[in-house]
Amino acid sequence: MSDAPIIRVQGLHKSFGKLEVLRGLDFEVKRGEVLAIIGPSGSGKSTLLRCLNFLEEYQAGEVRFDDQLVGYRRSGAGKLKLDSENNVRRIRARMGMVFQSFNLFPHKTVLENVMEGPLVVQRVSRTEAEQRGRTLLQRVGLIDKIGAYPAQLSGGQQQRAAIARALAMQPDAMLFDEPTSALDPELVGEVLEVMQSLAAEGMTMVVVTHEMGFARQVADRVMVMDRGEIIELAPPAQVFGAPKSPRTAEFLRRVLH
Amino acid sequence: MDYIWQWNQIWDYRQVFVRGMQVTVILTCWALLIGMVLGLGLGLMRSSRLLVLRLPAAIYIDIFRATPILVQLVWIYYALPILSGVQMGNIASASVGIGLHAAAYIAEIFRAGIASIDRGQSDAAKSLGMGYGQAMRRIILPQAIRRMVPPFINEFATLMKLTTLGSVLAVNELLHEAENLINNTYRPLETYTAVAVLFGLMIYPFIWLSQRLEQRWKVRG
Repeated sequence: MSDAPIIRVQGLHKSFGKLEVLRGLDFEVKRGEVLAIIGPSGSGKSTLLRCLNFLEEYQAGEVRFDDQLVGYRRSGAGKLKLDSENNVRRIRARMGMVFQSFNLFPHKTVLENVMEGPLVVQRVSRTEAEQRGRTLLQRVGLIDKIGAYPAQLSGGQQQRAAIARALAMQPDAMLFDEPTSALDPELVGEVLEVMQSLAAEGMTMVVVTHEMGFARQVADRVMVMDRGEIIELAPPAQVFGAPKSPRTAEFLRRVLH
Repeated sequence: MDYIWQWNQIWDYRQVFVRGMQVTVILTCWALLIGMVLGLGLGLMRSSRLLVLRLPAAIYIDIFRATPILVQLVWIYYALPILSGVQMGNIASASVGIGLHAAAYIAEIFRAGIASIDRGQSDAAKSLGMGYGQAMRRIILPQAIRRMVPPFINEFATLMKLTTLGSVLAVNELLHEAENLINNTYRPLETYTAVAVLFGLMIYPFIWLSQRLEQRWKVRG
């Protein structure tokens, strides 16, 4: 069971109206693997990530999480139908997501933000939720900010709180959508550190990022996307050292210099 | 300009004003209740992705905003009984009429309030596994309601003033009582002035409260 991929994507297509954003993607993410997704802006990286937990509907192909089809179910006749909200929610709850713009709940304190998912979705007791919250906030170095509101935190602190909020659901995988892109340069490090320690603990992570250093050092594999396609998917040493595709080489030349 | 104000007569008839204010408040409360409940429903429907929900709400809102409330009230009181056989009393008719009218505006306040919340908030709620209802109740509405307070108080003030239209259905609200009084006392200047002041006294505290709340909530963004 541990060898079966936890995320499996086959022939994934996604369009916004006439604009085709994802043009048939195939890949897998193994348990405990860290997959970094890089590529020029507009290449469909974030859209792909949002398809994985069905924040975006896709039009063709399949996304499977732990062997379960995400967002759709087969009707009696074998046709695909939109799945019930409850089933979609159940799958989403098993994937934590971290956003570029943090998206903390501004009307709740840091601790309340972290407790929200366990309390409302998993219906654990308040004591249990608070204990999880404190442990996680300790871990991301925010134990002294427990009663603060998001607006009182720096960007780096907000993003660490957002990571704690996602982890509080005890997810099987974490999705990161450009988690450091909205941060001042001096705050990027503290967030990457938290992510790196997560990876070291064996968390399955899919990370859309512009941080080439992170992709190179932390990721097990790097996926390069361009114009809605995967143009390279290999271990970082190969992608950064000896890219097979000229488009990858061209992209890396632009971002690394 | 040597008009001699005679306030003593107004004071002698103060019971009439109190009676009128009571009816005005009752009318306001009923209309507000109807307007809020229906307005929230319509506002949520109007924000829906589903056309079957969005379209009826949009049609309702447009009809009630595009026709005069006086006509709506008269229509509910005189035409509805003929068409449907439902005959409501004049207070009920006025409450329902003003409530239905206010619902259209309150729906727009709800819709705009919900739309003003960043999409990232519902993304975050959904990514935790929350359903639509949970996300609305716990994440979107609490934030949206703060932004809705000023337009909402504004609508409340409008609604209370609209209750004076109940006088055309012979509802004994404040203005109607005052008009009856004028027929006895022949003191329209004092009477109408008193009506204006009383409305001001009833409405101003809410305007003050809205400004205070706005100040307080600004701190936490």
